[in-house]
Order: sequence, then C-alpha cells, then structure tokens
Amino acid sequence: MLRKRPYLLNILLLLVAFVFSIALGAVFIPPGTILRILADRLPGIAFTPDWPNAFAAIILSVRLPHTVLVVLTGAALGSSGAAYQGLFRNPLADPYLIGVAAGAGLGAVIAMTLNWPTDLFGFYLIPVGAFIGAVTTVLLVYNLARVNGMVPLTTLILAGVAVGAFASAVTSSLMLRTDLQIHRAISFLLGGSPMLGWDPVVAALPYMVIGMGLLSLSGHMLNVLQFGEEEAKQMGLAVDRAKVFVIVTASLTTAVAVAFSGVIGFVGLIVPHIIRLLWGPDYRRLIPLSILGGGSMLLLADMLARVLLAPSTLPVGVVTAMAGAPFFLWILRRAKKEVFW
Amino acid sequence: MLTISSLRVAYGPRTALRGVSLEVSPGEILALIGPNGAGKTTLVRAVSGTIPVASGRVAVNGQDLTRLTVTQRARVLAVVPQARQLGGAYSVEQAVMMGRTAHMSWLGRESEADRAAVRLALRQTQLESYAHRSIAQLSGGEQQRVLLARALAQSTPVLLLDEPTNHLDLQHQTNLLSLVRQLAEEQQLAVMMALHDLNLVSFFADKVALLVDGELKHCGTPQEVIRAETISQAYRTPVEIVAHPVTGAPIIFPSGVLNRNGA
Repeated sequence: MLRKRPYLLNILLLLVAFVFSIALGAVFIPPGTILRILADRLPGIAFTPDWPNAFAAIILSVRLPHTVLVVLTGAALGSSGAAYQGLFRNPLADPYLIGVAAGAGLGAVIAMTLNWPTDLFGFYLIPVGAFIGAVTTVLLVYNLARVNGMVPLTTLILAGVAVGAFASAVTSSLMLRTDLQIHRAISFLLGGSPMLGWDPVVAALPYMVIGMGLLSLSGHMLNVLQFGEEEAKQMGLAVDRAKVFVIVTASLTTAVAVAFSGVIGFVGLIVPHIIRLLWGPDYRRLIPLSILGGGSMLLLADMLARVLLAPSTLPVGVVTAMAGAPFFLWILRRAKKEVFW
Repeated sequence: MLTISSLRVAYGPRTALRGVSLEVSPGEILALIGPNGAGKTTLVRAVSGTIPVASGRVAVNGQDLTRLTVTQRARVLAVVPQARQLGGAYSVEQAVMMGRTAHMSWLGRESEADRAAVRLALRQTQLESYAHRSIAQLSGGEQQRVLLARALAQSTPVLLLDEPTNHLDLQHQTNLLSLVRQLAEEQQLAVMMALHDLNLVSFFADKVALLVDGELKHCGTPQEVIRAETISQAYRTPVEIVAHPVTGAPIIFPSGVLNRNGA
C-alpha cells in the first residue's frame, strides 16, 4: 500500500531513522524521551523534565547536529548521483565513482590548508573550494570519457577512477604535509569525518537548499536527455544550457557534502537505483525521492558505523563501500545482460 | 510550406551537400532517395538544425529556421528518428509528453493543452491502449509509432522522418507509412522523409528527390524520377522498371545479374 505513496513512505523512513540515530550512542536515549526533549524546545510547548539534564545537552549539541549533517550529506549524495546518472545516461555514475567526490575533496583540502578555518566565515569558504574542485573534475572526466558524443560505461568509470585516484593522492600529500593529524586526513578520505557541532550544519545548509532545490527542478530536462542529445534538441530542449545547469547544481551539491563529511562513496549509486526499481525512471520524481532516500540510507550506514566496532567508530564511507561495492558489481552484471538505457 | 534553398553542408573539408533546393507543400510527402552516403540523412539533420549549415536557407512559411532558438524551431518542425531499440522504462504517455518540451516552461510543467496534444497524438497513432505500458516492452513497430506520436505531439506544420522504416517488417513498414500518408492529408503536414525502399517511395510519396554525392539530381513525381536509366546510373547498378498494373506506380527490379531462374 505504501508503495503507492512513495513520498509518504520515504518521509516516514527518514523520520524513523532520524530518531534512532539520535537515540544511539554511548548512552541509549529512548525515542519517546528524544521526542519530548525536542518538542520541549518548540515555542508554546513545555514538558516537566523527567530526564537527566545531560540528555538534553547530548541531544541538542552533539547528536542532533551530527544527525542533521548526516541527513544533508546523504540527501546531497543521493540526489546528485541521480542527476549524474541522468546526465551521463549511465546507471553507474556516482559522485564517488566518477571522481567528482575526490575532486571536491581536493578542492576542500586546498581551501583548508590555505587557511585552516576556525570561524564561521572560514567554514563558508570550504564548500567554495570543494565546488571548484568538483566542477573541474566533472568537466575533465566528461571530456576524457566522451567517445563520439556518447559517454560509455567503461571509459566513464576508467576516467573517473584515474582522475579520482590522482585527486586523492594530491589530497593525501597536502594533508600529510600540513600539521593536520594523519588520523584526520585518512578519515576524511575514507568518508569518516562529519564535522562536529552546529557550525558545519549552518554553513552547509544554504548551499544544500539551493543545490538540491535546483536539482529537483531539473527532472524534465533529464527525462528528455535520456533520448540522446540530438533527439532532445529536436524535441526543443536547449541541451547545452540544460547540461550546464545539471553539472553546476549536482557538483555544488556533491561538493558541500564532501566538504563537511569527507569522501563517501556509493550512496549516489545505490539510492537512485533502488528508487528507480521501485518507482520508475521519471526524474521529476526520482530526484526528490533520492533526496529523502539518500538521507535515510546514510543515516542507516552511519548508525552501523557507530555500532559495529563500538566504542570506536568506523568511517561511514567504509560502511557504504562495504555495502556499495557488491551492489555495483550486481548492477554491472545486469547492465551487461540487458541494455536498459 | 518547407522551403530549402541552396543548402550547403560541409564536414570539415568534405562537402556533404552541394546547394540543394527543395520545396514541400502542406499535405505533401517528399521522399529523399539516393545511394548510401548520398546525403539523405545529412539533409534531414541539416534541416532539423542538428548539424550546422555552411550556407543556404531553410524556411517554414517564410520564417528562417536558422534564426530560431532550439525551442522555437521545435515548435515548427518535428523529427521522427530512425527506428532503434528504445531503452528506459518510461511509459508511452511519458515518452509522448516529452514531445511537448518546446511548448512547456523550462521546468517542464504540463498544461491542459499539453495533455490534450498528447491524447490526440496517441489517438492518431492508435496507441491509446498502450498509454501506460513501458516503451521498452513494445515491439519495434510499436516503438516506432511512439516516436511518431512524440513528433506529432510537437504540433508542428512540418514533419521530418529519417529512414523511419529501417528494421521494420513489411507489415509495420506499410502501417507506418499509411499512417504518415493519412496524417499528411488530414493535418496538412508538410512531410519530408529519407527512405531506402524505392517501391515504398513510389507507393507513398507525392514527390521524390534523388540525391547523389550531395547533389540533387532529380526532383519530381515518382513516375518522373524512378526511371530505369536514372536509378541505374545513380545507384550504379542496372535496374528494370515496370508499372503497377492498377496504379501505374513504378515498381523496381534489379537486372543484369543472374536471378534464380537463370534469366
């Protein structure tokens, strides 16, 4: 029944994952208490506190901002993955696999090493660096992978891996040359450093809202592009403008996610795929649903990352890669068997 | 009325079309014929604005197409591409709705006019009962009807078809071309299509344009253009022509090669 209501189902999933993400940690806080503590902050609602004082502090200044950042990151990766797949007309495009995430990481790290930011203004500069890195990478990979106006799967992944590996190598050497701790550098590259507190959330939010909002509007263009650039033009789509629009917005969205959460792979691959299988290929719906689904999926991965080796925490990118790599191979086998694009 | 005057197209140093001039009136079907590489598809692509034109002019009702934006042009001229396997799991209705792109806002919001045009296009191509089927599950002939419906949904006065019957069997070739014939008359569409099969051309076209090496060699009725010496020369292979016993339309046979009766 809920399959007929994709938005409702995905919103419910996201809410459940959201509450559980706040509940999980060194101390388990029951979901009911969480809801009361959060509602207590709303104007006009007051509960008599029946919870330890520390709970409110843990939730409001540690777990809530962390959870919000994870949702934003997952939503950004899910929706930009869907957009890149539409743009490249290729089911294996993912911000990580096509090297854009690594490029954004390099841009972010260059911005960080130029002036390691401590204030909010510094925070706002990291996404700008990441954005420049992401756009440069996507243009480079796109042109390297292009053969006769098409972007075949093999050349796309090969170009993405090569450019991504290069960007990661430069990123590592930059991070190790500066006085950042090695742990933090590795963690960033493995997708394990969602920054702490509200500052990154505040810095990411405006870019995310703009990026994902614009991506949600690109559904029709992506639909028409699925028939190929020549036919899209004949149908009346201003193809070049549409491509620039999608590249810029998807890269902006990816870049912000990477800037604050590190390089996390496969979310942009898995989420749009599941949604496409369940609710069809219409990008007008696929992108908003990938925003919601991406948030839920990364929350789930993040909870696993915190629980699997508790009390220590795995980088969330390790969890997504463990789940995503087999998924990637499964799609690859399917893609070989049938032409479904 | 589609008017093509002195159209030249070059691929780098190679000239693909050398000053082609043609006219197609509303309700009329013009077939482009010629050997492989003669420039049929190039002409279709140049007229549709897909490839740049070196010189010359393409106009619809006096309006110069090269001055229009991609979107404006798609409201004047629609293209049915070559038959091919369609992927993606879009429904027939969704695919046909994409033909309305030029009439929609940039974000693709559908209006009542868009929905009405799609309903009409589905009815004209007898695809109404397929509206919610996935295009990937349709047969080749049905998919080609979807591409035709998508072009009709553009509501343009001019329709171009690029080898629309490639890969289709006899039944689907005939069905598709009869449908185009009927639509041309009912909707007063000016139709230009590249077509390989000369017998289909002589049966369905009002006018035939013979291209050889990017040059327009002949243009006229099928009886005027499809003649033994003209075709033999253009295709560099001897042919014989007889008249259809009822319609008088030219029917073409290869000759001068041993057939299975040894004649």
